[in-house]
Parts: sequence; C-alpha cells; structure tokens
Amino acid sequence: MTSLIFLQFLVDVMFLTLVLLHLTKKNFIAVIAFGVQSLMLAMLFFVSFLETGNRYILLMVFFTFAIKVVLAPLFFIRLIRKYQLYFSVNTYLSMPATLGIIAGLTFMAHSARFVPLTQIVPEHQMLLSLALSLIFIALFLIINRKEAISQILSVLALENSIVVFIIFAGLEQSPNLQIGILFNIFVWIVIATVFVSMIYKHFWSHDVTVMKNLTD
Amino acid sequence: MLALISSPAVFSLIMIIFVVGAIGSLFFHQSDRWANGWSSVFALLGTFLGIIFSLSTFMQGKELFFSFSQTSFTFLQFSLHIDMLAVFFLFAISLIGFFCSLYGFGYVKHYYGKYDIGALGFLYNILLGSLFLVVTASNALFFLIAWEMMSLASYFLVVYDRHDENNVKAGSLYLVMTYVGTAFIITFFLLAYKYTGSFQFDVIKLQSDLIPVMVQNLMFLCAMIGFGTKAGIIPFHIWLPAAHPAAPSHVSAMMSGVMIKTGIYMMIRLFLDVLAPVPLWWGETILIVGMVSSLLGVLYALTEHDIKRLLAYHSIENIGIILLGVGSAVTFYALDMKSLALLGLMAGLFHTINHAIFKSLLFLGAGSIIDQVHTKNMEEYGGLIRYMPQTALFFLIGSMAISALPPFNGFFSEWLTFQSLFQGIAALSFSLQWIFMLAAGSLAFTGGLALTCFVKAFAGIFLARPRSVEVTHAKESVLSMRIAMGGLAFLAVLFGLFAGSVTKMISTIGQNLALFEKVEPFVSVSSTQTLELTGGFALVSAPALFLFFGVIGLMIFFLVRFTVNRKQRITLGNTWDCGTPLNARMEITTTGFARSIILVFKNVLKPSIQQAVEYHDATSRYMPKSHSVTMGVGDIYLKYFYLPLQKFIHESSLRSRIIQGGNINVYISYIFVALIITLFVVL
Repeated sequence: MTSLIFLQFLVDVMFLTLVLLHLTKKNFIAVIAFGVQSLMLAMLFFVSFLETGNRYILLMVFFTFAIKVVLAPLFFIRLIRKYQLYFSVNTYLSMPATLGIIAGLTFMAHSARFVPLTQIVPEHQMLLSLALSLIFIALFLIINRKEAISQILSVLALENSIVVFIIFAGLEQSPNLQIGILFNIFVWIVIATVFVSMIYKHFWSHDVTVMKNLTD
Repeated sequence: MLALISSPAVFSLIMIIFVVGAIGSLFFHQSDRWANGWSSVFALLGTFLGIIFSLSTFMQGKELFFSFSQTSFTFLQFSLHIDMLAVFFLFAISLIGFFCSLYGFGYVKHYYGKYDIGALGFLYNILLGSLFLVVTASNALFFLIAWEMMSLASYFLVVYDRHDENNVKAGSLYLVMTYVGTAFIITFFLLAYKYTGSFQFDVIKLQSDLIPVMVQNLMFLCAMIGFGTKAGIIPFHIWLPAAHPAAPSHVSAMMSGVMIKTGIYMMIRLFLDVLAPVPLWWGETILIVGMVSSLLGVLYALTEHDIKRLLAYHSIENIGIILLGVGSAVTFYALDMKSLALLGLMAGLFHTINHAIFKSLLFLGAGSIIDQVHTKNMEEYGGLIRYMPQTALFFLIGSMAISALPPFNGFFSEWLTFQSLFQGIAALSFSLQWIFMLAAGSLAFTGGLALTCFVKAFAGIFLARPRSVEVTHAKESVLSMRIAMGGLAFLAVLFGLFAGSVTKMISTIGQNLALFEKVEPFVSVSSTQTLELTGGFALVSAPALFLFFGVIGLMIFFLVRFTVNRKQRITLGNTWDCGTPLNARMEITTTGFARSIILVFKNVLKPSIQQAVEYHDATSRYMPKSHSVTMGVGDIYLKYFYLPLQKFIHESSLRSRIIQGGNINVYISYIFVALIITLFVVL
C-alpha cells in the first residue's frame, strides 16, 4: 500500500513537471523540469528493482539516470548557454487556454471511455489514468510549443510518459531491449542538439514557424 | 537421371546461376566484353538448365513442394510449388530466355562504350531469375517480392537507353502503371488473408469457400486489374506500347514474349485453381475483355509506323486472344462443362507458348533491323530483303505465324480457340451464345486485320526500294543473332508441324489441375498428328496442311521460275511517268497502305490528318512544290480516361495541400487527433 502511494507520488511529480514544461517561458527551467521528470522515472525503475531484485533493472536505473537525468540536461544547458537561448518563444495558445486543454485531456484520460485501457491492471487504474493523461499532455506540448528545444524536450517527455504507462500496464519489455532504447534516445539527443545548433546558425532562431525555406 | 534433374536442388542451382551471372556482370562492368560474355553465358546456362528441368519435370509428371529457407516471419515463407502449370510457364520462360540471351550476346555489342554493359547483364539475369520465381512462388508475400523484382528489373531495362528522353518517360509510365497494378494485387491477397488466415496459395485454395461471394467478386476485379495491367489488357495497356519499344530488343522480346504472360499465369492459377468454384460472370467478363483487347489491339497496330510499337500493340491483341481461350474455360467451368473448359484452357495455353515464340522472333527481327537502319520508323525502311535476306526470312515466318496462317504454330492455337468458342455457340443458352458469337467474330476479324497489318509491315520493311540511305548500308546481323532468330523461326514451324503432340502435352498440363482431374479433353490427337474434336465437329491435320502448302508452294515457285518469267526480258522505252526514273517516293507507304482501313474505323481510332503544301511561289500559290500528308491516331484512352483521371487527382492534390502547411506542430496535431479518434472508436 505504501509502495502504491509512493508510486502515485512519483507519477504526480512527473505530471506536475509536465505542466511546468507547458507553463515556463525559460528554457533553463524547462530543462530542469525534464531532469526532475526523468529522475522520477529512474526512481520508478528503482522501486521495480527493489520489488523484483532483477539486476538488469538496476542497470536500467543507472542508464536512465546517466542519460536522461545527467547527460541530456547537460547537453541542453550547454546549448542554451552557447546561443544565449535563455527565454523560450511563445506557445500557440495562451496560458489559460493551455491550462484548460490540460484539464480537458486529464479529464478525458480519467473518463469511463478509457476504462478498458486503464484497467489492464485493475490495481493500477489510477496510475494508468495518470500515465495516459501524461501521454496526452506531452503530445499536446509538442503541438503547442513553437521552439525547437522545447519540442525536443516534449518528445523526450512523451517517451517518459509512454514508459510510465508501459510499466504500470505490465507491458515491460526485456531489460536488454529497454537499455537498447535508452542508447537510441541518447544518440537521438546528440543528433538533435547538433541539428538544433545548425538550425540556429542558419536561421538565427529556434522558432519553427520561421523555418519556411529549409531547402535554402 | 530424370528424377535427379527435376529436383529442388537443380531449381536452386538455376537460381544461383542467375545470381552469379548478375553479380559477375557488375563485377566486370569496366570491361564491356567481359561483362557481356559473363552475363550471356550465365543467362544461357540458366535458361538451358531451365528447359531441361521443365521438360524433365513434365516427363516425370511430379509436383515439387519445397522452401528455400525458413524465415522468422510468420507470414513470409520462401516456399515454392512447381506443378504442371508452373512447369509449362517455366518452359516458356526458359525457351524464350535462351534464344533472347543468345541474341543479346551479339546485339548488346552496339551499346559498347555508350552504357554500362555490366548493369544491363545484372538486370537481365535478375529479370530471368525473378520470372522463374513468379511462376513458382506459393506464398503471396514471396510472390510479391518476386513480382517486385521482376517489375523493377524490367523498369531499369526499359530506361537503360536513358539518353533518349522518350525512354525515360516510357519507364515512368510503366512504373506508375506497375504500381497501380501491384496495389490491386496486394488488395487481392489481403482480402484472401482476411478470410482464409493465410498467404499460402494452397491454404487459400483449401479454404476459399470461407470467402463470401461479394468479397470473391471484389477479389476477381482486383485480380483482373492487377494482373491485367501487367498482361496489357485494354484499357490498362497504355504502358505497353511505350515501354516495350524503349527497352533493348532482346529485353523487349522477353517482356512481350514472357513477362506479360505472368499476368495470364496468375489469372489461370487464381480463376481455375485457387478460387473455385467461380461465378459465370467472371468468364463472361474475361471473354469481353479478350474481345475488346484483341480487336482494338490489332486496330491500333495497323495505325503504327514505329515497328516496335506495332509489335507491342500486337501483344495486346494476342493477350486478347489468349483471354478468349481462358474466358471460355472459366465460363464452361462455371457451367460445370469441364471437358469444354479444358478445351478453352488448352487453347489459351497453346496460344501463350506460340505467341511467346513468334512475338519474340519478331522483336528480335525488329532489333536486327533497327540495329542496322538506326530508326524504328518503318517509312524509312524498304527493300531490306536484299541486304538482310535471312532476317527477312525469319521475320516472314514470324509474320505468317502471328497472322495465324497455316501451317505455322499460330494457326493451330487460334484454331483451338475458335473451336472452343464454336462449342459455346452450339451448347449454351441464348445470351451466352451471343457473347461467344461476338467473341468468335472478333477473333475472325482480328485474324484478318493481323494479316493485313503484317502484309503492311513485311512489305514496308523488306520489299520494294530503300526509302532511306541507311537501308543501303544495312548488313546481315551477326551469327549469334541470326542463330537465335533462326531457332525461334524453326520452333514456329515445329510447333505447327507437331501441333498434335503439343496439344496432347498441354492437355496433360490442364488435367494436372485439380479441377480437370480425370476430365477427358474435348479434342483428341491421332497418331498422324490430326486434331479432332469429340463428335467429329472439326478436324485439322498439321502434316496434311504442310504437305498441301508445300506442294502449292513448289508449284508456284516452278510456275513463276520457268513459265511466267521465261520470256520476260528487260525492255527500255518511254514510260508513263514522263521519263522520271522509278524511285522510292513512288511506292505506297505503310501509312498509305493502312489508310483505307483506318478510315473505315475512324469512329474508334479517331484519326487526325494534317496536310502541308509547299509552293514554289508562296505569294501566288499556284505552283505546289511538295504536298505532304501526316496521319496520326488519337489516343482515346488517354483523352477520355487517363487525362480526366489525372486532372481529378491533380485537383484533389491541390485541394489537399491545405492540410499540408509545412508546420510540424500541425502535423503532430493531426496525429494527436487521429490517436484520440482511434481510441474512441476502438475502446
């Protein structure tokens, strides 16, 4: 029971960091929020390790921590400092509208319509509903943000959300596969940051709406 | 020994030979001679083994089931099933492939220094290998892989001569039409999978009764469009007259001779083997498609003055004739008249092999001519019989065979098709009688028009006087090319002379299908090679015809040689032409020859005539210097079907651009909305 409350706490923190990612205007805070969210994910894996005693899961905790909590934020912070990208560009929707949609998506994920999906493991229904709302909100984050760094963070947050859903739905793949996925994400982060640098050098902006002539 | 030859190991060896031939050609691509030699030797070896393998398997009368390897994919199995029908098509592919490879060895030399011969050899060997796999694959996904390999290899061969912009355009058209066809084929197999739960042909066959009738009808339409596009049935034929002429001639011969027959193979496999029983309207539809294709194909051929396009249109015509046989087979089968159905199938198969022989012969002949005269325009030929007498003889044999003149092979397969249609007229109900009557009428009409067309072609190419300087520089082709053409010409005669034996073998192939097991063929063959229908409705004897035409031929020869020409002397005097020496401009052109027939069918062909007059004095216009007439034929399919379709697709695409704003956020929002809708629908 205690474990379930603790897990609920971890997912709640992830949810809040995602809301913060929506609301913050500063890239630095967004990166920190992502780091915190990833830390919660690493802790979720750690709880899983304590329950199962599987050493591979401990390895995953280590990799998640190293890649998502340490390396990825470091990459982004370097990028922000290098190009003085302290402030993010605007979102498509205003703050009240954004909050309204987040509330709507959370409500939808908890609605009776999605019960077949959230009751895959009945004792995790609350957690699964929350994880589903995390997925929806992360997708909405990609849509709502105009800036490239925010979008990369959004994609990573979406990946975190999907992993949370998979954990609570009991759909976990073998640890080897998950480590492979983490390695993939790491490579992707490296490529994405290089790509963002190139875009900035070419367009002097990270606002995706100004990148109309990518063939130039 | 035979058992050893007709084994999976030998089939695998043939595949390995083609792969080694393909890769080796690429390896030697820096030396044109080596690349050509390597690819030709391996293609010849593979096809020769193919002939031996198919003949041996036929004589053994056994079926082969085997897999190349087990895959970890549930749906995909590299499994093959070589039954008699597959053996028949393997034989046709090997036979034509052998002669085309022999021809290609000499023909490819004129590409030396211009294009990469290694690439040509690679693609040619891949084409041969994929053709082998297409007719033997027994898993739908494996079949599709082989089908794609065949399509891609043939596409790159079509655009091989890429310096000509028309060839590149023809290749693009071919590729688009191929993929349209493939989309329908994939739909067919997906529907089959939905109801039978398997991509294996034998499983689909066993469980075909689980497929609802409406779905079966939909599958039939998909198969007709998908495989019909490859076969070149009207109105899905537009790629064929463009693509076949564009490819190197030995490839054109392969494409026209055997590649388009893979469409026919799959129609027979599906309609008379896998999807049983079949409704009556399938047979009626195939008959109507056959009628339209044969008749319009030959009419369009008549209007052509490009030699390879003319031959390509004749392929459409002959596919129509084959479909008349297959269509009557499906119709009779639907009516449970299996003996007559077998007769129809035999007619279709016999014409398939015959067409493969004479059409590849004609394409190879055309290639030899183009190689010497450097144009495909028949108006610039004339008098080539003096410069290329052997090619002229081979082309004449091919022309007579395709025109269904006895005693060549084309006559006997068309005779069988006629008999099949006549039996329909005699035995069926009133409405069906009409369809069979129209089919027989169109076949008769087609035969007459084909003869006219080849009189035009042969006379325009080989007779009279040269109409261009290039003709006077023409020489006979190199030995390998002549041997290849001679071999095919010999086969055109042989398959005619031994039409009885060939018919017997084809009836064995037909009887191997589960549908015709223990069904007695409606045609019997006597020891003297006489074909006779049950009940004595009709009979024909190939040796008697040979003897008759031989005697007539000899009589005419001696009559002309020793009686008519005996007292003829060349006399000089004033001629009616005001003293102007006779020259090529006084000859009737191929366009002029066909003009009267084209005008009879002007409502179908929509001919356009442009006249241009040049005057000595442009201001007075009383003294014309020259008067030229250019005749063209409008493409009604392009005008009334493809262009409106293209316009519709283009306009729809322009409208749909609204949703494609170039903004990643918008695209992701589409994904998001789609996800939400999907979840709402599914949950």
